[in-house]
This record gives sequence, structure tokens and C-alpha cells, in this order.
Amino acid sequence: MIPFVAVVSLRNHESRTFRLWIPLILIWLLLLPLGVLLSPFIFIACLVCRVNPFRGVAVMWQILNALTDTNIQVEHRSAGLSFHIL
Amino acid sequence: MNEHRRQILQMLSEGKITADEAERLISAVEEPAAAGSPEGSATASAKTPKYLRVQVDSEEDGGHEGPTKVNVRVPMQLLRAGVRLAGLLPAQALHRANHAMQEQGIPIDLTQIKPENLEELIEHLNDLTVDVDQKDAGTKVKVRVFCE
Repeated sequence: MIPFVAVVSLRNHESRTFRLWIPLILIWLLLLPLGVLLSPFIFIACLVCRVNPFRGVAVMWQILNALTDTNIQVEHRSAGLSFHIL
Repeated sequence: MNEHRRQILQMLSEGKITADEAERLISAVEEPAAAGSPEGSATASAKTPKYLRVQVDSEEDGGHEGPTKVNVRVPMQLLRAGVRLAGLLPAQALHRANHAMQEQGIPIDLTQIKPENLEELIEHLNDLTVDVDQKDAGTKVKVRVFCE
């Protein structure tokens, strides 16, 4: 399943944590019409690069799906950052 | 499990135990996991790593800022998809990427990474643990790469 939400947590030197929930589903919905509009150009670009466009789209879809559960944390005494894709 | 095995091998390398004792210990450590699962396939699936973890701890000697810790968890699915993406790239692009990596001292041939060998690669990653400890110019860096 493609990721729906990304959570970004920021901690400042005063140990105050700001948590930002990014609804990725809205971004996908906004990008979908753009992808449809650009699809002929993507198709031509794939053919020029001698890449099977259908396999290319399938792999990009797999990468999108695989992003779920990715977690990146950076901790320092003065600040911290956490990025989690759900 | 890997941690136990590593400790046993460490004891063996230090001469604290003999090779026979190490073998017995390793089989004893592995036995409960095999017995705990109802089927062999369940054991295999439990052994399949789900995430690749990279942990970096960096600390400056005498620094007042405290240590910096980086913790990255990447799903194995992303690795699988990445290898499939590499399989899509034209050979010319792969050769250029190989050349660029060799210039940086990374002797990896991307043309040899094929989706057919992917599962075998991931299976072997289960036993992979890379620990790097570096003390350099007042900075202590510890990098740990492993699968879970």
C-alpha cells in the first residue's frame, strides 16, 4: 500500500517538540492529474532511453509502496529531527 | 540471535572456549528458535529481514554539544524495488555508474546485480552486521549497519 501520511518531528534546544503530519494522500491526488498529463512525454522518454515504459511505471509504483515504514532519526543535544513515513 | 552467535565467535577468537564448545553453544542457541516455530517455513519467514538499519553515533572529545545520533531504518522492500530499478537501466548508464563508483574507490559492478539473484542477496543480508569504530582527531564515530 502506498504511504498515506508522513510525520515530521522537530525538537529544539528547549526540548519543545513540534510534530507535523503531512497527508501524502492529498499530494498523490494532486500529482495524479499531472502524471496523466505527462504520461505521453514519459512514454516517449522511456522509448528514447530504450526502457520498457510499463515496467518503468511498475517499478516506480513498487518504490512508492516500499517507502512505507521508512524512518529517519537524527538526535543531538540541542535539536532533533525525526521523519517517519506511515 | 546474530548477537549471541557473534559473542560465541568472539569468545572462540579470544581462546576462551574451544571450537567444539563454540559449535555446541551455537547449536544450543539456535535450537530454541527452531523448536519454537510450528513449521519450518515459519522459521524461514521469521529469519527474513524486514529492515536495513544504519546507526551512527558521533561524539567529539571534550565537546559540550553532546553526541549526535543518526538512526535510519529502510524497508527491505525498498531495496528490492531499487534493484529492480537498476535492472531497468540501460547497460550504457550502468557502465558509466560503475566507472564513477570505481573512481571513488567502490569496486561494485552494477551490471552483476540482477533481480533473479535478489532474494538470495537479501537472505544473506540477514547475517550481515557491519561495525565501524573510528577515533580520529578528537572525534569518536561508531557506525553500525545490520538487518532486523
